[in-house]
Amino acid sequence: MSTRPDRVVSLHELAAGIPDGSHVALAGFAITRNAVAFAHELIRAGTVGLSVTQVFGGIETDLLVAGGAVDRLTYASGSLDRFGLLHAVNRALQTGRLELSEYSGLALALRLHAGGLGLPFVTTRSMLGSDLLAPLVAAGQVKQIESPFDGAPCLALPPLRPDFSVIHVDVADRAGNAVVDGPLWSIPETARASKVVLLVSEEIVDVGELDPSRVTIPGSLVHAVTHVPRGGHPTAVYGRYDYDAGHLRSYVAAASAGAEEHDAYLDRFVRGVSTFDEYLALAAA
Amino acid sequence: MSADERWTGGEMLAVAGSLQVQDGDVAVVGLGLPQMAALLAQRTHAPSARLLLEIGVFEPMPTEPSAGIADPRMWRGATAFGTTLEVLGVMVHGGRVSLGLLGALQVDPWGSFNTTEVEEADGSRRRFRGSGGGNDISSNAGRIVIVMTHQARKFAETLTFLTSPGRQVGGRSRADLGLPGEGTCAVVTDRAVIAFGPDGAALESVHPGEHPDAVLADTPIPLAVPHGGTKETPAPTARQLAFIRNELDPKGWYTS
Repeated sequence: MSTRPDRVVSLHELAAGIPDGSHVALAGFAITRNAVAFAHELIRAGTVGLSVTQVFGGIETDLLVAGGAVDRLTYASGSLDRFGLLHAVNRALQTGRLELSEYSGLALALRLHAGGLGLPFVTTRSMLGSDLLAPLVAAGQVKQIESPFDGAPCLALPPLRPDFSVIHVDVADRAGNAVVDGPLWSIPETARASKVVLLVSEEIVDVGELDPSRVTIPGSLVHAVTHVPRGGHPTAVYGRYDYDAGHLRSYVAAASAGAEEHDAYLDRFVRGVSTFDEYLALAAA
Repeated sequence: MSADERWTGGEMLAVAGSLQVQDGDVAVVGLGLPQMAALLAQRTHAPSARLLLEIGVFEPMPTEPSAGIADPRMWRGATAFGTTLEVLGVMVHGGRVSLGLLGALQVDPWGSFNTTEVEEADGSRRRFRGSGGGNDISSNAGRIVIVMTHQARKFAETLTFLTSPGRQVGGRSRADLGLPGEGTCAVVTDRAVIAFGPDGAALESVHPGEHPDAVLADTPIPLAVPHGGTKETPAPTARQLAFIRNELDPKGWYTS
């Protein structure tokens, strides 16, 4: 009888497997389904020199930048919706501490799509005529071409293949087959593009318990999965829990006040605890 | 600001923005005031307008205010959930979207706009959100309506950052650049409606209580007076205001 792999690891093991300088793709969107537990663990691990890709930048990227883990960012936008901007990211961009590659949302999702399928390149007309284009052309990340079929102006974009992606899912079985409920934005493309796919899951079940037609990310793509209930806090996970508006407001208050205040937040809520459960208890107090 | 004490500037903006949505539009909507305008249109004169969110949400009918596109409250009543490749790719890039309803930090005389960064008085640059799907929508949708508060510094001959192309860029038409659609057709503010056409911008209407000369003085891009003169924007109706205050934005997050 054949056996299924068991890919369940601890959050500590998951984060410890990411070497300094890795290219990590994150898949939260602003204030929803963000891999906050993972970001906390990576900051505690002292990981540095990361290149982060996130199509719609959110709080986990802001946390990692505030924690000094990130040297380079590839994104299409970043915000905490109505709660505010990514203050650590914006501060690091303004001081030049963070190197930026900036795309339109579709262009970056297409680069990940090409990475997943092993396509030599993808093409789009988005970004033509915009100021997004020149820095990407100068960096060799985009080329302006003409369609070989009708001569129409368009762009060629190379595939993007992050070393790791970290995705917050609802339910995974022990082999890493995973269900994501609600809208999916660029989650499937991010998973497919990455050389190593790591999942943080609200629930873990035995292999065979998931209806295959509900699986968003097949275990065949997944390397490890860890169990962290409420691991997206203070962001929302569709159908499970709402964002914590009070905590998001206090986060933005600290983040917008300045680097020192932001670091004090990390000292209290990230470096000052040793597990995500301790953080959740502190945040609820 | 509002020149009429019966409603706030934000309420007037949401109402005037909603009037740009036509029944039957397939519209991609940005966060904040564009959401207000689109939802108001959907509940009043444009019940068959279909909304899309770049996060991968089709045709939501939310019944309570939300903190933005990433707030699950905004997804309620959706007919389908999907991916960004489906919304920005299949729907927008695929030419299936008639209207983009978006916010902006800065607009130029041809309706190109900036959602990325602004220049401060000391010359430093202050970053905001970036493109997200804004560039994809403005590059590929049928027409674009910008919804924003009216401040003179938001209108500029040259943008700090051209995130989204309008009707032309650097003297090159959209067709020449390789872009479909007509580009920006209106900028709706809390004081006026500025129409954009092949010849540039015109002061289409000013809101009740506003004088065209005062609006022109605070809009430092070339503005023509349309054939037949600048009109007055229709005042908000009791029904529109009740809907905004009771259902859409009872806490005044966006329209106070």
